[in-house]
Amino acid sequence: MKKSKIYPWYFAAGALLIYTALSVVPGIIGIGYSFTDWSAYSSELHFVGLQNFIDVFSGDQDYLQYILNTLLFTVVTTVAKTGLGLLFALALSRNIKAKNFHRGVMYMPSVLSILIIGLVFTSILNPKNGLLNEGLRLVGLDAFTQKWLTDPQIAFWSVMGVDIWRGTGYIMTILIVGILAIPNVYYEAAGIDGANGFHKFVYVTLPMLKQTLAVTIVLNVLYGLKVFDMVYALTNGGPGHRTEVMYTAVFKQFSQGLYAAGTTISSVMFIFMVIVGFFMIKILTKDEVIE
Amino acid sequence: MKKKLVASLLCGIMTVGAVTVPAGAVQASEGTTITVMASQDWVYDAEMELGKQFEEETGIKVDYQIVPADQYYNMLMTKLNSGEGPDIFGGQSGSFDIVSQYNVEENAVDLSDQAWVSTYDEFAKAQTSVGDKVYRMTYYDVSTDYYVVYNKKIFEENGLEVPTTYAEFEEVCQTLLDNGVTPIYEPCADGWHQTMWFTEIGGKYEELVPGIVDDLNNNKIKFADVPELKEALDQLNDMAQKGYFGDNYLSDEYTDLLMYLGTGEYAMALEKPGQIAAIVEASDGTYTEDDFGMFVIPLLDNDVYPQHPCGPSRFVYSGSEHQEEAKQYLEYIASADSVQYMIDNCDKIENLPFDVGQTPSYSEATQTFLDAAEKEGTVFQDSIKYLNPQWTELTQDIVSMFIGDMTSEDVLNAIDERRATQAEAVGDENWQ
Repeated sequence: MKKSKIYPWYFAAGALLIYTALSVVPGIIGIGYSFTDWSAYSSELHFVGLQNFIDVFSGDQDYLQYILNTLLFTVVTTVAKTGLGLLFALALSRNIKAKNFHRGVMYMPSVLSILIIGLVFTSILNPKNGLLNEGLRLVGLDAFTQKWLTDPQIAFWSVMGVDIWRGTGYIMTILIVGILAIPNVYYEAAGIDGANGFHKFVYVTLPMLKQTLAVTIVLNVLYGLKVFDMVYALTNGGPGHRTEVMYTAVFKQFSQGLYAAGTTISSVMFIFMVIVGFFMIKILTKDEVIE
Repeated sequence: MKKKLVASLLCGIMTVGAVTVPAGAVQASEGTTITVMASQDWVYDAEMELGKQFEEETGIKVDYQIVPADQYYNMLMTKLNSGEGPDIFGGQSGSFDIVSQYNVEENAVDLSDQAWVSTYDEFAKAQTSVGDKVYRMTYYDVSTDYYVVYNKKIFEENGLEVPTTYAEFEEVCQTLLDNGVTPIYEPCADGWHQTMWFTEIGGKYEELVPGIVDDLNNNKIKFADVPELKEALDQLNDMAQKGYFGDNYLSDEYTDLLMYLGTGEYAMALEKPGQIAAIVEASDGTYTEDDFGMFVIPLLDNDVYPQHPCGPSRFVYSGSEHQEEAKQYLEYIASADSVQYMIDNCDKIENLPFDVGQTPSYSEATQTFLDAAEKEGTVFQDSIKYLNPQWTELTQDIVSMFIGDMTSEDVLNAIDERRATQAEAVGDENWQ
């Protein structure tokens, strides 16, 4: 019987040191600056207590709307990317013709620069002469043409759609690895017991994929909460402020030289992400057993 | 064996890489490259041609980094605030804001001792200096501004006269709309153009509310306290809601303005007079320059010609390793030959703010239009403190007003809030 081996803590000391220096310390310093009036316009720092946090949560500056937008983006893209990624992973982990080609095609968007994707899709989604509307007009679906990036009701969904297109292949690839790692013997046993394809998926694939799914969900959620470049490249927060998310707001505060305000929002997001990440890992790995 | 082969190949690749990188570095040190970062439409093709000539003459390469207008200020300030500015950067505000917005005493080099300063227009110099130090070179035609350029033929066909009041302007727009012509091409996608309707009539605000400039700058009143400012925004919003900007104005881009005015699909647009020639060119012979005229923005029955002494300018970054080369570039583009080259080769430039014996290229129509100015007043983005730095945000708010997310009062309150934030950060005593 194989006993789990616990290594001494100092085996992780090097990694912990680097992580602390590059991630924890800046985070704590950032939180410290959130209690000051740090800006590009004055070399003096003054303690302002919770004023910056009050500004964020008071609703005066639309931050609550930006938080809601960020959460909506996170939930929608996580669900869609995981769902679609799983669907494609199941399809492309079978022995189908040209599966590697299909996998490559699916994965390709995720290696493209987000800014390039933004520029290309800005052109594709142009309401007057964009590829999408032109295509719809060509096949007589004029009624479905939209102002994809400037209609206040649609713009944010367009941004999320482009992000889902970009990220699904990446999730699919991780899940394919997970699926291929499941020993075939389980499927054979299930087959002998009379399980059909759906049963095999529910009772074999999903439980065995749980850890991989947990990783992809955590990755997606943290990416969603940190989203910036996709929104910046496609709409820059517009039309008006409809697609503004927390990190476009941080960017705008920093670029105006209002460092403390920007740091405050970053700190709020940092704490929020730590909490979310912690609980997600706890929940999603609660059945995990160290062998 | 296989592993050894792979390892040998990797070692080989790394060795080649190690040798190649220094080779590239040696080549790069033979000529200097200076970067010029500017917002879209601040650097014209003619200037880039001058950049090539400059490179031929000096061996200094000029790398122009053009950033979309709605992202420019955020990106620039991020670079400056993180100490990674380009060698030369563009900026647009007046003497008030170059300190508060760009922090020029920290971020820019004093250019007062440069030869071109002696030929520099005094009006422009005043807006680009802090005390007696000149911090930037305005390289833009500040002798004219944005006016409503209209298609005379379309007006005649629809029996329309040049409007002198807002009511008449509305009537003109409605008639055009009823007759199937989109009245105004308003490119909102770029995130800067639509705000000019509100800020360019600074002279009218001063006429209607005497002392408004001083009162706003001394924080005696706020934007939200002035009904005339609200009325101007309401009129602008009205234009959008009534369809005078067309259906796609939120997606329309400034680069398409010439084309759409040239095709006659739109009858009017806010544009500089020098662009009329380019509109005519885009019309493929349908129109001549005589087919276009101009009038001032008619919101609030405006009849005051805008003065805009602060056009896009060039700063030399204080953290640049190539300050001398950057200064050399500025000297080059301000020379008599370069100034005349710009006037002759760029429609938007009819003159530049230097006295180097150049011949301006004003058309007769432009000259007549400018001569007709009885009243002149400075645009708000130049005369009001802490307004120009929030141009991007203000433009976003105006779009929010168009789509119903904000009211005109909200827009004015947001302006006041941002002004207060910046004034307090700067330590402006009027906001203490």
